[in-house]
Amino acid sequence: MVGAEEAARLDRLEIQVENGGGGAWEYLCLVRKLKPRRSDKVLKHGLAILNDPKARSNLGGEEWTLYEQVAFAAFDCQQHNVAKVFSLSLSLPLHIKSEKHLMDCVAVLSKEFPGSLRVGRLEGMLLEAENSWAEAEKVYARLLEDNPLDQIIYKRKVAIAKAQGDLKVAVDFLNKYLEIFMSDHDAWRELAEIYVSLQMYKQAAFCYEELLLSQPTVSLYHLAYAEANESQCIEYSGFIILLFLRFLLTAFIEQVLYTMGGLENLLTAKKYYASTITLSGGKNTRALYGICLCSAAISQLTKGRSKEEKESSDLPSLAAEALLRDYKYRAPKKLPLLNSMLKNMKLSS
Amino acid sequence: MAADCCYEVSQIAYVKLVLHALKHPSSAVNGLLLGRLRQDGSTATVEVADAVPLSHAQIGLLPALEIALIQIEEHFEAEGLSVVGYYHANERHNDLELGNAAKKIGDHIFRFFPRAAVLLLDNNKLQKLKTGKGRDPAVQLYTRDSSRSWRQTGSDGSNQLTLKEPAANIVLFDYISSEKWQQIVDFDDHLDDISKDWLNPGLFD
Repeated sequence: MVGAEEAARLDRLEIQVENGGGGAWEYLCLVRKLKPRRSDKVLKHGLAILNDPKARSNLGGEEWTLYEQVAFAAFDCQQHNVAKVFSLSLSLPLHIKSEKHLMDCVAVLSKEFPGSLRVGRLEGMLLEAENSWAEAEKVYARLLEDNPLDQIIYKRKVAIAKAQGDLKVAVDFLNKYLEIFMSDHDAWRELAEIYVSLQMYKQAAFCYEELLLSQPTVSLYHLAYAEANESQCIEYSGFIILLFLRFLLTAFIEQVLYTMGGLENLLTAKKYYASTITLSGGKNTRALYGICLCSAAISQLTKGRSKEEKESSDLPSLAAEALLRDYKYRAPKKLPLLNSMLKNMKLSS
Repeated sequence: MAADCCYEVSQIAYVKLVLHALKHPSSAVNGLLLGRLRQDGSTATVEVADAVPLSHAQIGLLPALEIALIQIEEHFEAEGLSVVGYYHANERHNDLELGNAAKKIGDHIFRFFPRAAVLLLDNNKLQKLKTGKGRDPAVQLYTRDSSRSWRQTGSDGSNQLTLKEPAANIVLFDYISSEKWQQIVDFDDHLDDISKDWLNPGLFD
Protein backbone atom coordinates (compact mmCIF):
# COMPACT_ATOMS: atom_id res chain seq x y z
CA MET A 1 0.00 0.00 0.00
CA VAL A 2 1.43 3.31 -1.00
CA GLY A 3 1.33 6.10 1.55
CA ALA A 4 -0.20 9.39 0.51
CA GLU A 5 3.03 11.29 1.07
CA GLU A 6 5.08 9.00 -1.10
CA ALA A 7 2.41 9.01 -3.78
CA ALA A 8 2.49 12.80 -3.79
CA ARG A 9 6.27 12.76 -4.06
CA LEU A 10 6.04 10.38 -6.98
CA ASP A 11 3.61 12.64 -8.81
CA ARG A 12 5.80 15.68 -8.16
CA LEU A 13 8.88 13.93 -9.46
CA GLU A 14 7.01 12.73 -12.49
CA ILE A 15 5.94 16.23 -13.43
CA GLN A 16 9.47 17.48 -12.82
CA VAL A 17 11.04 14.86 -15.03
CA GLU A 18 8.42 15.28 -17.74
CA ASN A 19 9.20 18.95 -17.94
CA GLY A 20 12.91 18.39 -18.30
CA GLY A 21 13.77 19.29 -14.73
CA GLY A 22 16.01 16.28 -14.14
CA GLY A 23 15.66 13.72 -11.36
CA ALA A 24 14.93 10.84 -13.69
CA TRP A 25 16.97 8.31 -11.72
CA GLU A 26 15.31 9.30 -8.44
CA TYR A 27 11.92 8.93 -10.13
CA LEU A 28 12.78 5.50 -11.48
CA CYS A 29 13.99 4.33 -8.05
CA LEU A 30 10.78 5.50 -6.46
CA VAL A 31 8.73 3.72 -9.11
CA ARG A 32 10.67 0.53 -8.39
CA LYS A 33 9.93 0.91 -4.72
CA LEU A 34 6.24 1.82 -4.89
CA LYS A 35 5.37 -0.20 -8.00
CA PRO A 36 2.75 1.99 -9.64
CA ARG A 37 2.07 1.11 -13.23
CA ARG A 38 3.66 3.98 -15.15
CA SER A 39 5.29 2.00 -17.86
CA ASP A 40 5.25 4.58 -20.60
CA LYS A 41 7.07 7.12 -18.44
CA VAL A 42 9.52 4.54 -17.16
CA LEU A 43 10.23 3.41 -20.67
CA LYS A 44 10.77 6.93 -21.90
CA HIS A 45 13.05 8.12 -19.15
CA GLY A 46 14.76 4.80 -18.55
CA LEU A 47 15.70 4.47 -22.18
CA ALA A 48 16.96 8.03 -22.16
CA ILE A 49 19.41 7.15 -19.41
CA LEU A 50 20.41 3.85 -21.00
CA ASN A 51 21.05 5.47 -24.33
CA ASP A 52 23.37 8.02 -22.80
CA PRO A 53 26.72 6.28 -22.21
CA LYS A 54 27.80 8.83 -19.60
CA ALA A 55 24.61 8.59 -17.57
CA ARG A 56 24.76 4.83 -17.83
CA SER A 57 28.27 4.52 -16.51
CA ASN A 58 27.35 6.82 -13.64
CA LEU A 59 24.94 4.17 -12.45
CA GLY A 60 27.65 1.62 -11.82
CA GLY A 61 26.19 -1.70 -10.72
CA GLU A 62 22.69 -0.33 -10.72
CA GLU A 63 22.80 -0.31 -14.50
CA TRP A 64 21.54 -3.91 -14.60
CA THR A 65 18.60 -3.11 -12.37
CA LEU A 66 17.68 -0.35 -14.76
CA TYR A 67 17.87 -2.69 -17.74
CA GLU A 68 15.48 -5.01 -15.97
CA GLN A 69 13.12 -2.19 -15.06
CA VAL A 70 13.08 -0.83 -18.58
CA ALA A 71 12.50 -4.31 -19.94
CA PHE A 72 9.45 -4.71 -17.69
CA ALA A 73 8.17 -1.33 -18.80
CA ALA A 74 8.68 -2.20 -22.41
CA PHE A 75 6.74 -5.46 -21.95
CA ASP A 76 3.88 -3.50 -20.54
CA CYS A 77 3.91 -0.96 -23.31
CA GLN A 78 4.13 -3.59 -25.99
CA GLN A 79 1.06 -5.21 -24.60
CA HIS A 80 -1.64 -5.79 -27.17
CA ASN A 81 -3.39 -2.78 -25.92
CA VAL A 82 -4.35 -0.09 -28.32
CA ALA A 83 -4.07 2.80 -25.96
CA LYS A 84 -0.49 2.15 -25.20
CA VAL A 85 0.18 1.69 -28.87
CA PHE A 86 -1.44 5.02 -29.50
CA SER A 87 0.25 6.88 -26.73
CA LEU A 88 3.61 5.48 -27.60
CA SER A 89 3.44 5.99 -31.28
CA LEU A 90 2.02 9.44 -31.06
CA SER A 91 4.06 10.86 -28.28
CA LEU A 92 7.15 8.78 -28.23
CA PRO A 93 9.18 8.43 -31.40
CA LEU A 94 11.03 5.51 -29.81
CA HIS A 95 8.03 3.22 -30.24
CA ILE A 96 9.13 1.53 -33.41
CA LYS A 97 12.58 1.07 -32.02
CA SER A 98 11.50 0.02 -28.56
CA GLU A 99 10.93 -3.58 -29.53
CA LYS A 100 14.56 -3.69 -30.58
CA HIS A 101 15.58 -2.01 -27.35
CA LEU A 102 13.53 -4.52 -25.47
CA MET A 103 15.34 -7.42 -27.02
CA ASP A 104 18.60 -5.57 -26.53
CA CYS A 105 17.89 -5.17 -22.82
CA VAL A 106 17.22 -8.85 -22.41
CA ALA A 107 20.20 -9.78 -24.57
CA VAL A 108 22.54 -7.52 -22.62
CA LEU A 109 21.35 -8.96 -19.34
CA SER A 110 21.66 -12.58 -20.41
CA LYS A 111 25.18 -11.90 -21.61
CA GLU A 112 26.13 -10.39 -18.28
CA PHE A 113 24.35 -12.96 -16.13
CA PRO A 114 24.27 -16.22 -18.04
CA GLY A 115 22.04 -18.92 -16.64
CA SER A 116 20.48 -16.56 -14.15
CA LEU A 117 16.95 -17.23 -12.93
CA ARG A 118 16.11 -13.54 -12.95
CA VAL A 119 17.14 -13.15 -16.56
CA GLY A 120 15.45 -16.44 -17.43
CA ARG A 121 12.21 -14.93 -16.19
CA LEU A 122 12.76 -11.91 -18.41
CA GLU A 123 13.20 -14.18 -21.37
CA GLY A 124 9.92 -15.85 -20.48
CA MET A 125 8.23 -12.48 -20.26
CA LEU A 126 9.61 -11.46 -23.63
CA LEU A 127 7.91 -14.50 -25.10
CA GLU A 128 4.73 -13.57 -23.29
CA ALA A 129 4.88 -10.07 -24.70
CA GLU A 130 5.05 -11.58 -28.15
CA ASN A 131 2.04 -13.74 -27.34
CA SER A 132 4.06 -16.94 -27.73
CA TRP A 133 2.31 -18.52 -24.81
CA ALA A 134 3.41 -22.09 -25.37
CA GLU A 135 7.07 -21.08 -25.64
CA ALA A 136 6.81 -18.96 -22.53
CA GLU A 137 5.26 -21.84 -20.62
CA LYS A 138 8.14 -24.08 -21.70
CA VAL A 139 10.69 -21.58 -20.43
CA TYR A 140 8.89 -21.30 -17.11
CA ALA A 141 8.54 -25.08 -16.77
CA ARG A 142 12.28 -25.40 -17.28
CA LEU A 143 13.02 -22.70 -14.71
CA LEU A 144 10.62 -24.28 -12.23
CA GLU A 145 12.50 -27.56 -12.40
CA ASP A 146 15.58 -25.90 -10.99
CA ASN A 147 13.70 -23.47 -8.77
CA PRO A 148 10.50 -25.17 -7.64
CA LEU A 149 9.70 -22.54 -5.06
CA ASP A 150 10.00 -19.48 -7.21
CA GLN A 151 6.90 -17.42 -6.56
CA ILE A 152 7.29 -15.10 -9.49
CA ILE A 153 7.23 -17.89 -12.03
CA TYR A 154 4.01 -19.25 -10.59
CA LYS A 155 2.54 -15.81 -10.91
CA ARG A 156 3.64 -15.57 -14.52
CA LYS A 157 1.72 -18.76 -15.20
CA VAL A 158 -1.37 -17.14 -13.73
CA ALA A 159 -0.73 -14.07 -15.86
CA ILE A 160 -0.52 -16.18 -19.00
CA ALA A 161 -3.84 -17.83 -18.20
CA LYS A 162 -5.39 -14.46 -17.56
CA ALA A 163 -4.03 -12.96 -20.75
CA GLN A 164 -5.50 -15.80 -22.75
CA GLY A 165 -8.86 -15.18 -21.13
CA ASP A 166 -8.81 -18.46 -19.22
CA LEU A 167 -10.04 -17.06 -15.96
CA LYS A 168 -11.07 -20.42 -14.53
CA VAL A 169 -7.57 -21.74 -15.18
CA ALA A 170 -6.08 -18.62 -13.61
CA VAL A 171 -8.24 -19.16 -10.56
CA ASP A 172 -7.11 -22.78 -10.39
CA PHE A 173 -3.44 -21.86 -10.57
CA LEU A 174 -3.83 -19.13 -8.00
CA ASN A 175 -5.57 -21.47 -5.60
CA LYS A 176 -2.78 -24.01 -5.97
CA TYR A 177 -0.22 -21.26 -5.46
CA LEU A 178 -1.96 -20.05 -2.33
CA GLU A 179 -1.94 -23.55 -0.86
CA ILE A 180 1.84 -23.27 -0.83
CA PHE A 181 2.31 -19.57 -0.26
CA MET A 182 -0.69 -18.74 1.87
CA SER A 183 0.65 -15.52 3.26
CA ASP A 184 1.02 -13.80 -0.08
CA HIS A 185 -1.36 -10.88 0.24
CA ASP A 186 -1.03 -9.74 -3.34
CA ALA A 187 -2.08 -13.15 -4.52
CA TRP A 188 -5.18 -13.15 -2.31
CA ARG A 189 -6.10 -9.75 -3.65
CA GLU A 190 -5.60 -10.83 -7.22
CA LEU A 191 -7.73 -13.90 -6.65
CA ALA A 192 -10.45 -11.79 -5.04
CA GLU A 193 -10.45 -9.44 -8.01
CA ILE A 194 -10.75 -12.28 -10.47
CA TYR A 195 -13.66 -13.72 -8.48
CA VAL A 196 -15.36 -10.34 -8.52
CA SER A 197 -14.98 -10.11 -12.27
CA LEU A 198 -16.63 -13.53 -12.50
CA GLN A 199 -19.35 -12.31 -10.10
CA MET A 200 -18.40 -15.06 -7.65
CA TYR A 201 -18.91 -12.77 -4.68
CA LYS A 202 -18.95 -15.43 -2.01
CA GLN A 203 -15.56 -16.67 -3.05
CA ALA A 204 -14.25 -13.12 -3.30
CA ALA A 205 -15.49 -12.48 0.22
CA PHE A 206 -13.58 -15.55 1.40
CA CYS A 207 -10.35 -14.11 -0.01
CA TYR A 208 -10.96 -10.81 1.69
CA GLU A 209 -11.58 -12.67 4.94
CA GLU A 210 -8.09 -14.12 4.69
CA LEU A 211 -6.71 -10.66 4.13
CA LEU A 212 -8.68 -9.24 7.02
CA LEU A 213 -7.29 -11.92 9.31
CA SER A 214 -3.71 -11.16 8.44
CA GLN A 215 -3.96 -7.39 8.03
CA PRO A 216 -6.92 -6.23 10.08
CA THR A 217 -6.04 -2.57 10.04
CA VAL A 218 -6.06 -2.05 6.30
CA SER A 219 -9.28 -0.17 5.64
CA LEU A 220 -9.37 -1.11 1.98
CA TYR A 221 -9.90 -4.76 2.83
CA HIS A 222 -12.80 -3.89 5.10
CA LEU A 223 -14.34 -1.87 2.30
CA ALA A 224 -13.80 -4.56 -0.29
CA TYR A 225 -15.28 -7.20 2.02
CA ALA A 226 -18.30 -5.03 2.65
CA GLU A 227 -18.78 -4.42 -1.07
CA ALA A 228 -18.45 -8.11 -1.88
CA ASN A 229 -21.09 -8.91 0.71
CA GLU A 230 -23.41 -6.22 -0.53
CA SER A 231 -22.94 -7.31 -4.12
CA GLN A 232 -23.92 -10.81 -3.11
CA CYS A 233 -27.15 -9.51 -1.67
CA ILE A 234 -27.86 -7.24 -4.60
CA GLU A 235 -27.36 -10.17 -6.91
CA TYR A 236 -30.08 -12.14 -5.15
CA SER A 237 -32.57 -9.40 -5.21
CA GLY A 238 -31.60 -7.60 -8.34
CA PHE A 239 -30.81 -4.01 -7.54
CA ILE A 240 -32.98 -3.83 -4.53
CA ILE A 241 -32.77 -0.10 -4.01
CA LEU A 242 -33.50 0.90 -7.54
CA LEU A 243 -36.52 -1.31 -7.54
CA PHE A 244 -37.92 0.18 -4.44
CA LEU A 245 -37.41 3.66 -5.67
CA ARG A 246 -38.90 3.20 -9.08
CA PHE A 247 -41.22 0.27 -9.03
CA LEU A 248 -42.38 1.07 -5.58
CA LEU A 249 -44.72 -1.83 -5.14
CA THR A 250 -45.44 -4.99 -7.05
CA ALA A 251 -42.10 -6.25 -8.27
CA PHE A 252 -40.56 -5.29 -5.02
CA ILE A 253 -42.83 -7.39 -2.89
CA GLU A 254 -41.56 -10.45 -4.69
CA GLN A 255 -38.04 -9.39 -3.88
CA VAL A 256 -38.90 -9.06 -0.24
CA LEU A 257 -39.78 -12.71 -0.05
CA TYR A 258 -36.16 -13.49 -0.47
CA THR A 259 -33.63 -15.51 1.35
CA MET A 260 -32.29 -14.90 4.77
CA GLY A 261 -28.88 -15.08 3.22
CA GLY A 262 -29.36 -11.69 1.70
CA LEU A 263 -30.13 -9.99 4.97
CA GLU A 264 -27.12 -11.53 6.66
CA ASN A 265 -24.92 -10.30 3.87
CA LEU A 266 -26.29 -6.82 4.28
CA LEU A 267 -25.68 -6.86 7.99
CA THR A 268 -22.13 -8.05 7.47
CA ALA A 269 -21.59 -5.46 4.81
CA LYS A 270 -22.86 -2.73 7.10
CA LYS A 271 -20.54 -3.84 9.87
CA TYR A 272 -17.53 -3.71 7.61
CA TYR A 273 -18.46 -0.39 6.08
CA ALA A 274 -18.55 0.86 9.64
CA SER A 275 -15.12 -0.52 10.40
CA THR A 276 -13.79 1.02 7.19
CA ILE A 277 -15.04 4.38 8.38
CA THR A 278 -13.38 3.91 11.75
CA LEU A 279 -10.10 2.92 10.20
CA SER A 280 -10.10 5.68 7.65
CA GLY A 281 -11.10 8.42 10.05
CA GLY A 282 -14.52 8.89 8.50
CA LYS A 283 -13.19 10.01 5.18
CA ASN A 284 -14.10 7.13 2.96
CA THR A 285 -16.92 8.20 0.64
CA ARG A 286 -17.66 4.68 -0.58
CA ALA A 287 -18.07 3.40 2.96
CA LEU A 288 -20.41 6.27 3.89
CA TYR A 289 -22.53 5.57 0.82
CA GLY A 290 -22.38 1.90 1.67
CA ILE A 291 -23.84 2.44 5.09
CA CYS A 292 -26.68 4.47 3.58
CA LEU A 293 -27.47 1.85 0.95
CA CYS A 294 -27.27 -1.03 3.41
CA SER A 295 -29.45 0.67 5.98
CA ALA A 296 -32.08 1.54 3.43
CA ALA A 297 -32.09 -2.01 2.12
CA ILE A 298 -32.18 -3.53 5.58
CA SER A 299 -35.08 -1.37 6.66
CA GLN A 300 -36.99 -2.28 3.52
CA LEU A 301 -36.35 -5.93 4.10
CA THR A 302 -37.24 -5.94 7.76
CA LYS A 303 -40.43 -4.03 7.21
CA GLY A 304 -43.22 -5.84 8.92
CA ARG A 305 -40.90 -7.87 11.08
CA SER A 306 -40.85 -7.59 14.83
CA LYS A 307 -39.43 -4.44 16.27
CA GLU A 308 -36.49 -6.15 18.02
CA GLU A 309 -35.01 -7.12 14.72
CA LYS A 310 -35.09 -3.61 13.45
CA GLU A 311 -32.10 -1.38 13.34
CA SER A 312 -31.88 1.22 16.00
CA SER A 313 -28.75 3.16 15.67
CA ASP A 314 -27.63 6.57 14.66
CA LEU A 315 -25.15 5.23 12.22
CA PRO A 316 -27.12 5.70 9.01
CA SER A 317 -28.14 9.24 9.76
CA LEU A 318 -24.63 10.11 10.88
CA ALA A 319 -23.24 8.71 7.66
CA ALA A 320 -25.79 10.70 5.70
CA GLU A 321 -24.85 13.83 7.56
CA ALA A 322 -21.17 13.27 6.93
CA LEU A 323 -21.81 12.82 3.22
CA LEU A 324 -23.94 15.94 3.03
CA ARG A 325 -21.28 17.95 4.81
CA ASP A 326 -18.56 16.70 2.56
CA TYR A 327 -20.52 17.39 -0.61
CA LYS A 328 -21.45 20.83 0.59
CA TYR A 329 -17.82 21.81 0.79
CA ARG A 330 -16.23 19.84 -1.98
CA ALA A 331 -18.91 19.10 -4.54
CA PRO A 332 -21.73 21.60 -4.05
CA LYS A 333 -23.10 21.08 -7.54
CA LYS A 334 -23.92 17.50 -6.70
CA LEU A 335 -25.48 18.30 -3.36
CA PRO A 336 -29.09 18.41 -4.62
CA LEU A 337 -28.72 14.95 -6.17
CA LEU A 338 -27.31 13.54 -2.97
CA ASN A 339 -30.02 15.20 -0.92
CA SER A 340 -32.80 13.78 -2.95
CA MET A 341 -31.24 10.33 -2.93
CA LEU A 342 -30.95 10.36 0.85
CA LYS A 343 -34.47 11.68 1.21
CA ASN A 344 -35.77 8.78 -0.83
CA MET A 345 -33.88 6.47 1.43
CA LYS A 346 -35.46 8.27 4.36
CA LEU A 347 -32.07 9.08 5.76
CA SER A 348 -32.47 12.80 5.68
CA SER A 349 -35.31 15.21 5.97
CA MET B 1 -37.98 -6.25 -29.46
CA ALA B 2 -38.63 -7.46 -32.94
CA ALA B 3 -39.52 -4.09 -34.38
CA ASP B 4 -36.93 -2.21 -36.36
CA CYS B 5 -35.06 0.38 -34.49
CA CYS B 6 -32.22 2.72 -35.28
CA TYR B 7 -29.60 3.67 -32.79
CA GLU B 8 -28.04 7.06 -33.27
CA VAL B 9 -25.02 7.80 -31.13
CA SER B 10 -24.04 11.40 -30.62
CA GLN B 11 -20.45 12.53 -30.88
CA ILE B 12 -20.30 13.48 -27.22
CA ALA B 13 -21.35 10.02 -26.06
CA TYR B 14 -19.13 8.24 -28.54
CA VAL B 15 -16.01 10.25 -27.84
CA LYS B 16 -16.49 10.05 -24.08
CA LEU B 17 -16.73 6.30 -24.05
CA VAL B 18 -13.68 5.81 -26.22
CA LEU B 19 -11.63 8.28 -24.20
CA HIS B 20 -12.69 6.54 -21.01
CA ALA B 21 -11.45 3.22 -22.37
CA LEU B 22 -8.17 4.80 -23.44
CA LYS B 23 -7.54 6.31 -20.05
CA HIS B 24 -7.52 2.88 -18.42
CA PRO B 25 -5.84 0.61 -20.91
CA SER B 26 -5.12 -2.23 -18.55
CA SER B 27 -8.59 -2.74 -17.16
CA ALA B 28 -12.16 -3.08 -18.26
CA VAL B 29 -14.26 0.08 -18.21
CA ASN B 30 -17.96 0.68 -18.38
CA GLY B 31 -20.51 3.43 -18.35
CA LEU B 32 -24.09 4.39 -18.94
CA LEU B 33 -25.70 5.76 -22.07
CA LEU B 34 -28.29 8.48 -21.75
CA GLY B 35 -30.83 9.39 -24.36
CA ARG B 36 -34.40 9.25 -25.53
CA LEU B 37 -36.67 7.37 -27.87
CA ARG B 38 -37.89 9.21 -30.95
CA GLN B 39 -40.80 7.92 -32.97
CA ASP B 40 -41.10 9.13 -36.57
CA GLY B 41 -44.12 7.36 -37.89
CA SER B 42 -43.18 3.73 -38.10
CA THR B 43 -39.47 4.12 -37.40
CA ALA B 44 -38.21 4.22 -33.89
CA THR B 45 -34.87 5.78 -33.17
CA VAL B 46 -32.99 5.61 -29.94
CA GLU B 47 -30.95 8.78 -29.69
CA VAL B 48 -27.96 8.29 -27.45
CA ALA B 49 -27.27 11.85 -26.42
CA ASP B 50 -24.66 11.46 -23.73
CA ALA B 51 -22.61 8.97 -21.78
CA VAL B 52 -21.47 8.87 -18.18
CA PRO B 53 -18.33 6.85 -17.50
CA LEU B 54 -18.80 4.64 -14.47
CA SER B 55 -15.85 2.55 -13.42
CA HIS B 56 -12.49 1.21 -14.35
CA ALA B 57 -11.78 -1.07 -11.45
CA GLN B 58 -13.67 -3.98 -9.94
CA ILE B 59 -16.57 -3.59 -12.28
CA GLY B 60 -18.29 -6.57 -10.69
CA LEU B 61 -18.91 -4.73 -7.45
CA LEU B 62 -22.45 -3.49 -7.42
CA PRO B 63 -22.92 -0.90 -4.68
CA ALA B 64 -21.18 1.85 -6.63
CA LEU B 65 -23.27 0.98 -9.67
CA GLU B 66 -26.46 1.36 -7.67
CA ILE B 67 -25.51 4.75 -6.36
CA ALA B 68 -24.49 5.88 -9.81
CA LEU B 69 -27.75 4.71 -11.37
CA ILE B 70 -29.79 6.60 -8.81
CA GLN B 71 -27.90 9.87 -9.15
CA ILE B 72 -27.46 9.74 -12.90
CA GLU B 73 -31.12 8.97 -13.54
CA GLU B 74 -32.17 11.83 -11.33
CA HIS B 75 -29.83 14.31 -12.92
CA PHE B 76 -30.71 13.55 -16.50
CA GLU B 77 -34.43 13.37 -15.87
CA ALA B 78 -34.42 17.14 -15.74
CA GLU B 79 -33.04 17.20 -19.28
CA GLY B 80 -35.63 14.79 -20.54
CA LEU B 81 -33.11 12.01 -20.90
CA SER B 82 -33.07 8.58 -19.32
CA VAL B 83 -30.76 5.61 -19.23
CA VAL B 84 -31.08 3.93 -22.62
CA GLY B 85 -28.04 1.72 -22.62
CA TYR B 86 -24.69 0.71 -21.32
CA TYR B 87 -21.18 0.58 -22.74
CA HIS B 88 -18.36 -1.74 -21.91
CA ALA B 89 -14.76 -2.16 -22.96
CA ASN B 90 -13.11 -5.47 -22.18
CA GLU B 91 -9.86 -5.83 -20.30
CA ARG B 92 -8.09 -7.75 -23.00
CA HIS B 93 -7.41 -6.28 -26.41
CA ASN B 94 -8.68 -9.11 -28.52
CA ASP B 95 -11.66 -10.02 -26.38
CA LEU B 96 -14.73 -9.24 -28.45
CA GLU B 97 -17.20 -11.14 -26.36
CA LEU B 98 -19.88 -9.52 -24.28
CA GLY B 99 -19.10 -10.73 -20.76
CA ASN B 100 -21.53 -11.82 -18.08
CA ALA B 101 -21.18 -8.70 -15.99
CA ALA B 102 -22.04 -6.56 -19.00
CA LYS B 103 -25.02 -8.76 -19.87
CA LYS B 104 -26.38 -8.56 -16.34
CA ILE B 105 -26.20 -4.81 -16.23
CA GLY B 106 -27.69 -4.70 -19.70
CA ASP B 107 -30.54 -6.92 -18.50
CA HIS B 108 -31.27 -4.57 -15.68
CA ILE B 109 -31.44 -1.56 -17.98
CA PHE B 110 -33.60 -3.54 -20.39
CA ARG B 111 -36.20 -3.92 -17.66
CA PHE B 112 -36.76 -0.20 -17.66
CA PHE B 113 -36.08 0.47 -21.32
CA PRO B 114 -36.88 -2.40 -23.64
CA ARG B 115 -34.86 -1.04 -26.53
CA ALA B 116 -31.73 -0.86 -24.41
CA ALA B 117 -28.46 -0.84 -26.29
CA VAL B 118 -25.19 -2.30 -25.14
CA LEU B 119 -22.13 -0.95 -26.88
CA LEU B 120 -18.95 -2.97 -26.77
CA LEU B 121 -15.70 -1.29 -27.71
CA ASP B 122 -14.08 -2.91 -30.71
CA ASN B 123 -10.30 -2.57 -30.43
CA ASN B 124 -9.61 -3.65 -33.98
CA LYS B 125 -11.77 -0.89 -35.38
CA LEU B 126 -10.23 1.55 -32.97
CA GLN B 127 -6.82 0.64 -34.29
CA LYS B 128 -8.00 1.27 -37.85
CA LEU B 129 -9.02 4.74 -36.80
CA LYS B 130 -5.43 5.58 -36.19
CA THR B 131 -4.51 4.97 -39.77
CA GLY B 132 -7.25 7.30 -40.84
CA LYS B 133 -9.04 4.48 -42.60
CA GLY B 134 -11.66 4.07 -39.93
CA ARG B 135 -15.12 4.95 -41.14
CA ASP B 136 -17.11 2.65 -38.93
CA PRO B 137 -17.84 3.45 -35.35
CA ALA B 138 -15.36 1.62 -33.13
CA VAL B 139 -18.13 -0.08 -31.19
CA GLN B 140 -20.39 -3.05 -31.63
CA LEU B 141 -24.07 -2.79 -30.84
CA TYR B 142 -25.91 -5.48 -28.92
CA THR B 143 -29.64 -5.57 -28.36
CA ARG B 144 -31.96 -8.03 -26.67
CA ASP B 145 -33.72 -10.25 -29.13
CA SER B 146 -36.90 -12.21 -28.63
CA SER B 147 -35.01 -15.13 -27.12
CA ARG B 148 -33.94 -12.85 -24.25
CA SER B 149 -30.29 -12.97 -25.12
CA TRP B 150 -28.01 -10.20 -26.25
CA ARG B 151 -27.24 -10.35 -29.92
CA GLN B 152 -24.86 -8.33 -31.95
CA THR B 153 -26.44 -6.38 -34.76
CA GLY B 154 -24.74 -6.30 -38.13
CA SER B 155 -24.80 -3.28 -40.35
CA ASP B 156 -27.35 -4.99 -42.57
CA GLY B 157 -29.51 -6.05 -39.69
CA SER B 158 -32.74 -4.59 -38.60
CA ASN B 159 -31.17 -2.52 -35.83
CA GLN B 160 -28.83 0.03 -37.27
CA LEU B 161 -26.08 1.82 -35.46
CA THR B 162 -25.12 5.20 -36.79
CA LEU B 163 -23.03 8.05 -35.58
CA LYS B 164 -25.10 11.18 -35.49
CA GLU B 165 -22.24 13.40 -36.58
CA PRO B 166 -20.36 11.79 -39.47
CA ALA B 167 -17.14 13.52 -38.54
CA ALA B 168 -17.12 11.96 -35.10
CA ASN B 169 -14.24 9.62 -35.91
CA ILE B 170 -12.08 12.49 -37.10
CA VAL B 171 -12.80 14.47 -33.98
CA LEU B 172 -12.01 11.39 -31.93
CA PHE B 173 -8.69 10.94 -33.66
CA ASP B 174 -7.81 14.54 -32.86
CA TYR B 175 -8.58 14.04 -29.21
CA ILE B 176 -6.54 10.86 -29.10
CA SER B 177 -3.56 12.67 -30.54
CA SER B 178 -3.82 15.34 -27.92
CA GLU B 179 -4.14 12.73 -25.13
CA LYS B 180 -7.49 14.15 -24.15
CA TRP B 181 -8.33 10.95 -22.31
CA GLN B 182 -6.32 12.08 -19.33
CA GLN B 183 -9.00 14.59 -18.44
CA ILE B 184 -11.96 12.29 -18.39
CA VAL B 185 -13.54 11.56 -15.01
CA ASP B 186 -15.68 8.56 -14.17
CA PHE B 187 -17.93 7.77 -11.21
CA ASP B 188 -15.15 5.73 -9.60
CA ASP B 189 -12.90 8.79 -9.67
CA HIS B 190 -15.72 10.79 -8.11
CA LEU B 191 -16.07 8.30 -5.25
CA ASP B 192 -12.34 8.55 -4.62
CA ASP B 193 -12.44 12.32 -4.70
CA ILE B 194 -15.87 13.90 -4.75
CA SER B 195 -14.59 17.16 -6.15
CA LYS B 196 -14.20 15.36 -9.48
CA ASP B 197 -17.33 15.68 -11.58
CA TRP B 198 -18.61 12.63 -13.46
CA LEU B 199 -20.54 14.90 -15.77
CA ASN B 200 -17.24 16.01 -17.27
CA PRO B 201 -18.34 19.59 -17.86
CA GLY B 202 -15.99 21.55 -20.04
CA LEU B 203 -14.30 18.45 -21.38
CA PHE B 204 -14.92 19.46 -24.94
CA ASP B 205 -14.49 23.17 -24.66
